[in-house]
Amino acid sequence: MTQAVLDRPVAPERAVPRRRRAGQGTGYLFLSPWLLGVLVLTIGPMIASLYLSFTDYDLFDAPRWVGLDNYATMFTRDDRFWHAAGVTARYVGLSVPLKLGLALAVAMLLNRARRGAGLYRSAFYAPSLLGASVSLALVWRAMFSTGGTADRVLAAFGLDTGGWVDQPQFALLAVIALAVWQFGAPMVIFLAGLKQIPKELYEAAELDGAGALRRFRSVTLPMLSPVLLFNLVLETIHAFQSFTGAFVVSSGRGGPSDSTLLYTLYLYQRGFTDFRMGFASAMAWVLLVVIGVLTALLFRGSRRWVFYAGESR
Amino acid sequence: MNGRFGLRAALTAVVAVTLAGLVTGCGGGGDASGPTTIRFVWWGNEDRAKVTKAAVDLFMKDNPGITVQTEYAAYDAYFQKLSTQVAGGASPDLIQLDRATLGEYQHRHVLEDLSPYMGKAVDVTGIAPALLAGGKIEGKQYAVPGGQTTQMLAYDAGVFTKAGVAPPSGPGKTWTWAQFGEGLRKVAATGVAGTTDFGWAIDWFEVWLHQHGKQLYTDDGKLGFTAADLTQFWTLTGDLRAAKAVTAPEVTTKMDGSMPNSGLVTKRAGSEINYDSSLSAYLSSYGPGIQAAPLPTDGTASGMAAMPPVTFAVAQRSAHKEAAAKLLSFLVNNPEAGKLLGVARGLPPNTAIREQVCGAAQAATKAVCDYEKSVADRIGPATGLWPTGSAAVKRDFQRVYDDVIFGRTGVADGAARAVQTAQQSLGS
Repeated sequence: MTQAVLDRPVAPERAVPRRRRAGQGTGYLFLSPWLLGVLVLTIGPMIASLYLSFTDYDLFDAPRWVGLDNYATMFTRDDRFWHAAGVTARYVGLSVPLKLGLALAVAMLLNRARRGAGLYRSAFYAPSLLGASVSLALVWRAMFSTGGTADRVLAAFGLDTGGWVDQPQFALLAVIALAVWQFGAPMVIFLAGLKQIPKELYEAAELDGAGALRRFRSVTLPMLSPVLLFNLVLETIHAFQSFTGAFVVSSGRGGPSDSTLLYTLYLYQRGFTDFRMGFASAMAWVLLVVIGVLTALLFRGSRRWVFYAGESR
Repeated sequence: MNGRFGLRAALTAVVAVTLAGLVTGCGGGGDASGPTTIRFVWWGNEDRAKVTKAAVDLFMKDNPGITVQTEYAAYDAYFQKLSTQVAGGASPDLIQLDRATLGEYQHRHVLEDLSPYMGKAVDVTGIAPALLAGGKIEGKQYAVPGGQTTQMLAYDAGVFTKAGVAPPSGPGKTWTWAQFGEGLRKVAATGVAGTTDFGWAIDWFEVWLHQHGKQLYTDDGKLGFTAADLTQFWTLTGDLRAAKAVTAPEVTTKMDGSMPNSGLVTKRAGSEINYDSSLSAYLSSYGPGIQAAPLPTDGTASGMAAMPPVTFAVAQRSAHKEAAAKLLSFLVNNPEAGKLLGVARGLPPNTAIREQVCGAAQAATKAVCDYEKSVADRIGPATGLWPTGSAAVKRDFQRVYDDVIFGRTGVADGAARAVQTAQQSLGS
């Protein structure tokens, strides 16, 4: 069975010198800029945001305590909230598997490439470096709008779909395509993971008569599973938080016809165009809880399929 | 990979930090104002920016102690940025607003009451009282009109002539909605939509309501129309859309009044309803073939109104209100500035400067002056400010219309929903 193949010797643990109290003090001293940053820029605003989520706050006047009103409105009286949640679910459900699949496929190709590997790696990683930039999303909008490049190319092949970003049934796909295209970060991590898999495992599997598909399923995937989990969790969290692509492609509106109204975009609209900052804060906390729960579920489920080296089952 | 504990710990740490970043969002900007540096912001196209900057330069030459920083953007982007800046404590000093946003910002105590500045830093004696009322809220002057505008149909004369349609021009000339629709269908037969689908903007619906003796908002800030009224209006555009006499949904959904998204400028329509303060922008973006005609009406009332296309207001949190007020007054009253600004924000608000500008008018400026003159006896007085919540009403109106044109909802259902959400927005 595969288990026998996968067991490999574990590197002997290095002796860790016992820490001394004085050393801890120095450690904290060196950490202090970061700790200060966390307190002032993260913990502080988080507490403020939690407080604001129970208030009616229009950005300009003092916040007014309303208790759970924001949460109640969100769940019972706000159709657009549920609509945005649905759009986000579709976005995450499609973009994450596609992105990870593409990242893994390209990583495997690059893992084999000998000549020009560095060039290819940079070329595939480049879109991720540009990822957060607004200009990229602007280019995307120009390409996929009516009369844009994508529109004309498709029309040349007889696929007259019109501009993707101008039609409710396609607009979200254009935003997803933008996200999937930026697969560089998970790809690089996959590549590092692939490099770690001992060649002997493949050789042994080949001797046992395993074909390419079988080797992928029985050697690559199990050996890569911790990296896969890492990428899956991170990309899921990132996907829930995506904003720039949809914001730019729809000029901040989430249109056409609310088809690209991601949760974060609606949150932004409520906060900064409707001046309902308390409501927006409540939305942020709901998103935090949802992502937290989903991440916990991913970790729990991972026990069944993630294999850590040195583990015996 | 370091084995299970190392990876797990690292993963958990990364997750924790990423999640923490989520609820904190981004912080506000810094404070950029020096001792006598003020910031002046507006929305608009390049042409407007060019002349405005020239006028600001002139102001700085006349007032060596004051430095003016300028910023401008397209309408949507402008207000997104403005609210963020104001909330972050980095408010500009002189702000351009419009009917939908003035009440919004005043209600939230962002704007300075200009009444104490009257007769001192700010001079409004040259502005007609009816126009000046466009900046008044509850008897106090919170903003000063930056111009005067009224509704128009901008059309490509060549396209209409080719289709054998003669739009009304000159004083007293007009057309009915039926004649208008007939003309649009004829234009459509030549391969381009007759006009940009005008159901998207609550502004054009307002004109239609006036023609039927109704209002968008009542004087006490409630909704002045019913779902039945809106159904009738959207059925009018729906019939035209079915005949391809107005632009397709993909074009209509992008409308925001700006030139790059305009159906007329992108040559997908032969005409477009807009405010005449945009006429010079059409002429420079499209070319010299553009002319202006009044909106159709079935009765004697044109439904059109004279109003400020933009107003200028001073921020309450500005550290240099006096300087900002001075710049405001300069833009509105200085003859040289008036000459530079021309009709970039509609006709000049100051009557004396308007006469001067229109008297010497050529090309684009002449077109705006001529059009306003031709409809002068038919346009009503300013219809007053829109109430708080109207910015949301305007936005939701367009959003529901998107659902209608893409066939996601029926006209009657959409109209009912638009009315319902509008009532909620006004109530909050």
